[in-house]
Amino acid sequence: MNVRDKRWGWLSAGLLIIIIGIVAAACGGSDSSSSSAADTAAADTAAADTAAAAGEKKIVMGFLSNCEGPFGPFWDATLAGYYTALVQFAGATPVDPADPKAGVTGAMVPGTDVAIELNTNYGCSDDKADKALSEAKRLVEQEGVNILIGPLSGDEGIAVANYAKTQPDVTFLNGISGAQDTTLKVQAPNFFRFFSDGAQWTAGLGAYAYNVLGWRNAVTIGDDYSFPYTQTAGFVSEFCSLGGKIDERIWPALGETDYSSYIAKLPDNVDGFFLDVGGTGTVQFVNQFTEVNGNDSLQGKVMGGAFISNPAIIKELGAKVEGVVAGSALPSDATDANWTAYSDAIKAAYPEMVGNAANIFLAGYYNNAQAAILGLQAVGGNIDDAAAFQAALAGVEIATGVGPVTVDANRNAVGPNYVVEVNAMGTKTLFTVEGVDQSFGGAFSADTPNPDRDNPECVAGNPPPWAASITK
Amino acid sequence: MIPARLHWPIGAVVVVVAALLPIVMSDFTVSQILTRSLILGIAAASLIFLASLGGWVSLAQIGLYGVAGFAVGNLAQADGGVKVFAMDMWLAALLAIIVTVVIGLIIGVVASRSEGIYFLMITLAFGVIIRLLFEKATDLSGFGGINQIIQPEVLGSAQLQPERIYWVCLVISVLVYLGVRYFARTPFGLAFQGIRDNAARMKALGYNVTLIRTIAFGIGAFVAALAGVLNVWWNTQISPGTIDIRPVIFLLMIAIIGGLYRIEGAWVGALIYVILDNRLRSIDLVGERVATALGIIFLLIVLLSPGGVMGILESLSSRWRRSDEPDQPAGDGDGTAAAVVAGD
Repeated sequence: MNVRDKRWGWLSAGLLIIIIGIVAAACGGSDSSSSSAADTAAADTAAADTAAAAGEKKIVMGFLSNCEGPFGPFWDATLAGYYTALVQFAGATPVDPADPKAGVTGAMVPGTDVAIELNTNYGCSDDKADKALSEAKRLVEQEGVNILIGPLSGDEGIAVANYAKTQPDVTFLNGISGAQDTTLKVQAPNFFRFFSDGAQWTAGLGAYAYNVLGWRNAVTIGDDYSFPYTQTAGFVSEFCSLGGKIDERIWPALGETDYSSYIAKLPDNVDGFFLDVGGTGTVQFVNQFTEVNGNDSLQGKVMGGAFISNPAIIKELGAKVEGVVAGSALPSDATDANWTAYSDAIKAAYPEMVGNAANIFLAGYYNNAQAAILGLQAVGGNIDDAAAFQAALAGVEIATGVGPVTVDANRNAVGPNYVVEVNAMGTKTLFTVEGVDQSFGGAFSADTPNPDRDNPECVAGNPPPWAASITK
Repeated sequence: MIPARLHWPIGAVVVVVAALLPIVMSDFTVSQILTRSLILGIAAASLIFLASLGGWVSLAQIGLYGVAGFAVGNLAQADGGVKVFAMDMWLAALLAIIVTVVIGLIIGVVASRSEGIYFLMITLAFGVIIRLLFEKATDLSGFGGINQIIQPEVLGSAQLQPERIYWVCLVISVLVYLGVRYFARTPFGLAFQGIRDNAARMKALGYNVTLIRTIAFGIGAFVAALAGVLNVWWNTQISPGTIDIRPVIFLLMIAIIGGLYRIEGAWVGALIYVILDNRLRSIDLVGERVATALGIIFLLIVLLSPGGVMGILESLSSRWRRSDEPDQPAGDGDGTAAAVVAGD
């Protein structure tokens, strides 16, 4: 055996030992995590020990978002929303106010001496349903969380809500996934969404297009998955109910980078477009759209869903999106007491994140984490009876940047929606539609077809109650 | 090499120990670590089968695995799939496997005429086509994937009785392992290996090279289909994201980590991959950078032992034996194809 052989032999053996070490450590970790959530949580606070000694189940809260994939850039924003709620309502202290990933310490159920143990082995998905499902299972069954906040994206929400049905003792609160089916169709009794769904975020847009802009026919363009289906469903339902026509619905794949072939075949003889391309695709789409059409602004020609009014997108696209009217669950230009309290809370916890107050990714996690804390408060920090905790949670009213928000019988938020105009500073609220519920004024129910590439159909009549008041 | 006389006793001990693991392991470990490893191991075995005996590295195996999963979801009544069939789950599984093998044979007809990088590209293209087909044909894949796929009644619930699906996966893994080893020694298997070594000579000897390769690809599709069916029984859900490019790469990584030319490497690689995927994020330095960490470990293994972990084991075993026989020439420890599946 020559020297080189010997060296590689030792290196190989070393590598094998490292791998075996990791395997052994992993098995140890897995074995220590029993099948019961209550047994799994490690006691790291005195108060948690007190709760356990009193025979109460420890409260272990977990976090599931996207750290990879098209929504990976919003990882920090979702963490900031989650931890801001814990700082504001559970008395926690940020470990590093410049870095939400560092977590917080000292979270307690308000008004009690019960600690909330925060799991920091975060669930990291990539916008794929099976990855989110696998991470949810890891958090619930291995890490032992009994309250899970997440996930982020539409298809992920549907998969996790289905999984929730198999874990009745665990309470799931959505992050910011916005597919309608997640609550309207799946209806898991232990899955809550204290933020409206994608269709609700478009309330008022269809009426604005028809009554104010004078559109009579339109084309929709959205990413090909459940969240844009839901958003488009809201626009189509309202626009068509007033007499508008949808000439075509175009669905580029999520994550597409070259939209030129879709843009090239857009018809010329339509009054306007409803655009709901999101994630990293919004900037590419708008740039290519303006290049092909030779115009510098989309004003009057394009209306947007949730993505186009995102502060990061506005900063990137500047004048190209100025004047575009969009639906938004958040009013970035608000100055009232609700919005001030909300943005001050972010500023106090994570000063560098305050510019993201109007970012729905941050707000969604903030709302749901806050609801979990207030639900815990309502049962005095005792979650031994999961059903009682979930019943209390269903009656919680949370304080958000847009005012009080509650949930309906399907545990989905009822709240206001904003029709905004994009400007250089962000967005300007044109008007507010109050009390939008998931049925969208009666257009959607558990029996209506799922929003998809062709549904809902474009049918005139029965406009939602707010449509009549939206005029020039 | 471990002496041949010890192969079967060691294999039997491994299987018995594996069968007893649900008694001592938590439900989570049984379901999310062990069962997932066995399913990915079967899928990787379909890749290693073609690589070791045929010299082909196929990137279509995940696509075929997805075909079987979607077929089950559509044939049995599941949320998001076509609901007109509502078949018994066993019948749905059987038909799903048949459909997958037929598609595998069709791909095999095209791919069997190529080799090396061209074969790799053709199979990658088929894998992408299958994914895009399911992404666009939402009648078959649902708008939010196919959810709530239930297991056959006898297996109970994947959540409440995870040991049942685990044992089924273990039995199928053993059968696949034994089947591949048996196949390698049949006249057909020998002909397939002969084609790998010198296709022109085999043709000159009168063998129908294209037909043999096509059938072998169909057998690989059969193994991938088994994994696909087990996956949807276990995970109760499938969406186009299940078969996109990342799983294709991860399956290749599993095969290479285990040892691309040792059939048992499929399960070894899968177990290591699943454990790393599950545990790496607990390390502060890694956090959400799991894919990066996996990539670095993969590179290390490939650099240090092209034969993967099985190659390392083989190399250590040879070294240990040579210490008693200093004059014997050194082996490369890469676990060459000839030794692999055919050897005993």
